[in-house]
Amino acid sequence: MSGFLLHFVAAALGTVAFALIFDVPAKYFPLCALIGGSGFFLSEYLATLDLSVTEATFFATALVMLTSRFAAVFMRCPVTVFLVAGIIPLVPGAGIYWTAYYLVMGDTSLALSNGFAAIRAAVAIVLGIVLVFELPNKLFLIAGRRGGK
Amino acid sequence: MEYGADEVLETAVEAGHILLENGAEIFRVEETMKRISRHFGVDEGHKDFFVLTTAIFATGGAGDAKYATVRPSPVRSAHLNRVEAINQLSREIEQGEYTLPEVRERLREIKRMGGFTPALKIFSAGVGAAAFSCMFGGGFLDAAAAFFAGLILYVFMLFVAERHLTKITGNLFGAAIVTVVSIICYKAGFGHSLSHMIIGSIIPLVPGLNFTNGIRDIADGDYISGSVRLLDAILVFLSIAIGVGLVLTIYRHIWGGTLL
Repeated sequence: MSGFLLHFVAAALGTVAFALIFDVPAKYFPLCALIGGSGFFLSEYLATLDLSVTEATFFATALVMLTSRFAAVFMRCPVTVFLVAGIIPLVPGAGIYWTAYYLVMGDTSLALSNGFAAIRAAVAIVLGIVLVFELPNKLFLIAGRRGGK
Repeated sequence: MEYGADEVLETAVEAGHILLENGAEIFRVEETMKRISRHFGVDEGHKDFFVLTTAIFATGGAGDAKYATVRPSPVRSAHLNRVEAINQLSREIEQGEYTLPEVRERLREIKRMGGFTPALKIFSAGVGAAAFSCMFGGGFLDAAAAFFAGLILYVFMLFVAERHLTKITGNLFGAAIVTVVSIICYKAGFGHSLSHMIIGSIIPLVPGLNFTNGIRDIADGDYISGSVRLLDAILVFLSIAIGVGLVLTIYRHIWGGTLL
């Protein structure tokens, strides 16, 4: 459990670090941290429940996208502000490394399986984003019911 | 308040240009340009916008106030604070809070808007690298080494790659440098897992913005722009893999045997 907590904090911190690199205004940092941290937490938690990395990545992406949209309506700002950094913990950066690593080591089958895992994770991210993207905006207006309109 | 269609369209294109340059989606660029021109009296049918990832095409107006332009807008480093500021501005315009000259003045301000300092970004890249190293299972020393590699990486990216190199070579060399720094740390006995140092410190190179925006452009039906952004992301992913792979290959030839 403490491992989960450590990783949540690390993911939150990592997300804010990337938000800063993209010049996201500092007032959005707390929400960025929450979104990135909880997305990564969900993907790790689901992976312990016998879900494949692909499935876990899909649900985690959907969560990041949902929370980003709520946050965007609530704070009245572009969803990109939250989404870009929040999705980075889910991007298969480690997969790219392992693919290159096994290619160099001459272990083609491990390189392939890691490469495909990375591609599957990327596809899961695509699906997660597209699916939540299609939800009508009205759903998110509940969060925006402050200060009229 | 009557403005010529050419003035209005020019202002709208300027807003769109700033959005596009700083990492907004195509949908947002088009929507903002439409809103601004509609508010200042240039209606549908009197203008046409066509926005791609790399350029804005706009024509419109009538009589003496004809307007046509092509604005190339290369995507450089994203400044989402500018995207956010224009979003805010466009909402305020719709509420009737601005005259056209005021909008132009505000756009000039937004264009000059600075973000965080390079020093802070470099530090952030280090923190991000350390955090990701830890998330993917690295120990404390691995994270510390990744922090160090992340710092060096971002100094290189900001002062060498962004100014003098293309995207592909920039990312390739960036990944190679990170791998060299990690190997040096590892050989010096600083950190236990070479892999986790490298994994953490290549993360600042990951093309998060183009990847997510590419997907969203395609979801919007902007296929050309979306494909361009996804292609960009894929090339960067490949460059990272090649950069890491190259250095690991050399390392393996020098020291031989298995890594890790």
